Amino acid sequence: MTSLRARLGLGLVSSLVVMIGLLWLTVGISVRTLMEDQLASRLAHDAESLLGGLSIDAAGHASLDARRIQGIYQQPYSGHYFQVDVEGEVLRSRSLWDAVLPVPRVALGETRVDFITGPQQQALLLWTRGFRKQDRMVQIAVAEELDAMLAAMQGFRLRLAAWSLTLLFLLLLIQRYIVVRSLRSVSAAADDVVRLEQGDISALDERVPDEVRPLVAAINKLLQRQQQRLLRSREALGNLAHGIKTPLTVLQQLGSEKIPPDDVEAHAQWQRYSRQINEQVDQSLRRARLAGDSLGASHFDLRTDLPPLVDTLNRLHRDKSIVFRQHTGESVTLPMEQQDGMELLGNLLDNAWKWAHSRVLLTVEHDTQWRILVEDDGPGIDAAGLQLLAQRGMRQDENMPGHGIGLSIVKSLVEELSGTLQFRASPSLGGLQVCITLGSRA
Amino acid sequence: MRLLLAEDDPDLSLRLKRYLGKQGFAVDAVHNGVDAEFNGRETPYDAIVLDLGLPQRSGLEVLANWRSAEVKTPVLILTARDSWQEKVRGLQQGADDYLTKPFQEEELLARLQALIRRNTGTVGKTLTVDGWVLDEETQSVSRDEQHWELTGIEFRLLRYCMLHPGRILSKTQLTEHIYEQDADKDSNVIEVYVKRLREKLGKDIIATRRGQGYVFGRQA
Repeated sequence: MTSLRARLGLGLVSSLVVMIGLLWLTVGISVRTLMEDQLASRLAHDAESLLGGLSIDAAGHASLDARRIQGIYQQPYSGHYFQVDVEGEVLRSRSLWDAVLPVPRVALGETRVDFITGPQQQALLLWTRGFRKQDRMVQIAVAEELDAMLAAMQGFRLRLAAWSLTLLFLLLLIQRYIVVRSLRSVSAAADDVVRLEQGDISALDERVPDEVRPLVAAINKLLQRQQQRLLRSREALGNLAHGIKTPLTVLQQLGSEKIPPDDVEAHAQWQRYSRQINEQVDQSLRRARLAGDSLGASHFDLRTDLPPLVDTLNRLHRDKSIVFRQHTGESVTLPMEQQDGMELLGNLLDNAWKWAHSRVLLTVEHDTQWRILVEDDGPGIDAAGLQLLAQRGMRQDENMPGHGIGLSIVKSLVEELSGTLQFRASPSLGGLQVCITLGSRA
Repeated sequence: MRLLLAEDDPDLSLRLKRYLGKQGFAVDAVHNGVDAEFNGRETPYDAIVLDLGLPQRSGLEVLANWRSAEVKTPVLILTARDSWQEKVRGLQQGADDYLTKPFQEEELLARLQALIRRNTGTVGKTLTVDGWVLDEETQSVSRDEQHWELTGIEFRLLRYCMLHPGRILSKTQLTEHIYEQDADKDSNVIEVYVKRLREKLGKDIIATRRGQGYVFGRQA
């Protein structure tokens, strides 16, 4: 069983059931013992008065003083009986009629209490004791019917059971309330984790019970470390780029300057190799910079991150006037880290801006999965070109600087996010349409 | 045209200064962010080339400080970091263009020329004012099939005048935009070069406004 709530519930229910059951049993037994004791002491009193009313004459005949005998002993089968044995001579109450009580033998001074079945199948409590009177052994047995007491006991037990069940039910309600209440903060933390995955928050709320706090704090610390590591590694990559690219600029310029102008082959080689170094560095750095599927990172926000990007594109392509439209519906954030989103949309939109005549369209759809579409009204690409693009992630025209790398970084990012990347002709604008499909993480 | 070049690598800085100097720019080179910010704020440059990876104060910070101090000089950012995040940040901070290292000197020149023309409201690849056509590549000027070669300073002076036609340009202003910081600034030299241009291209090309300065163009 893995549910904390079920486990707590079951534990509490079983301990309550056991406790209340035991209580019920103990109370039942105690009350019964108490009643029996009381009954026995009453019978002892009756026996005392019988003993007092017993007289033995000179001939050795025993007789009972009738005045000492309560009326109830005179009514037949009244449930109250006595049987006095004076060394074999037996005096029995009128109530016994012809019946004889199965009285056990007791020694002098010994008292016995027995449960017997008396006349007419009555359940009786039999009290017996051995006395000595006028040097004769006298055994007095007094019995009283138990049915009334048993009925009263039964009634008491039923009432007790009813109260116990009510109490059990009340306690269960209270415990359920307590459990649900104390686990609410745990469910809140679980909800936080979902929101974390969706990128709505960047840390879990630490206002949770003491038992859960270490866990939540550990997760937060981990997230923070991950963010710091990402930040540091991006910083380091930036420094590395700076460290390589500046000398590379000097090298490139030196090369084209110092190689004799008539050595065409050397020029070509020099250019090819410096371009190769540059592209290799670029590709590796750009890939290393991607955050990918990282938890706790802030996501690309279409409201705050897209407008500056569009403004930047408009400035970089000042010679063109592009009408940009976005159909982003209800979507507010993209399911990717902010810089990754900037890189993805930056490359895709820059590509669209480069080729578009006048219109670029961004569409974001989100149902069971995400669809991000970027299309332009440029010349588009023929079928063979589309295939090549899908294979290599490069636009054919390599004269446009930065083109191939841009789309290949998009490809890496989409792979990192386990999505798909498709190229086709834009149905509405006629140019290229790039379609990215991403699974929904939530 | 006077440029501020803020680049911390001494070799690259020297090469660019030499190259841009040859192309008719007066270049002041600085190697850290603090100097860059001070110079950019105090001197009316025509354009600034700003490396983002400057020591002491980052290029982005320098740029932000200029813009908040109302320094409107067009800025071309040079950077090794080519992420879109950086591009967006740079341009949102007030840069006008963006060039990623490594780059060819010619690319930088083309971007700079475009930047300056855009800033002075001139369009087209060659500078044409009142029938005078200035070729920046050959540093020569032509009019009605006639063609004149110009010396470095003559070219700088004429280009500045042609970028600001019809406006009164004081000697100090001309000196500031034609010479670099450490050059010997004698405003009388401007008079000499104006005289030379008049001799070469005709007396009417630049008019003198006594006590105010010079005006280029027909409106003069």
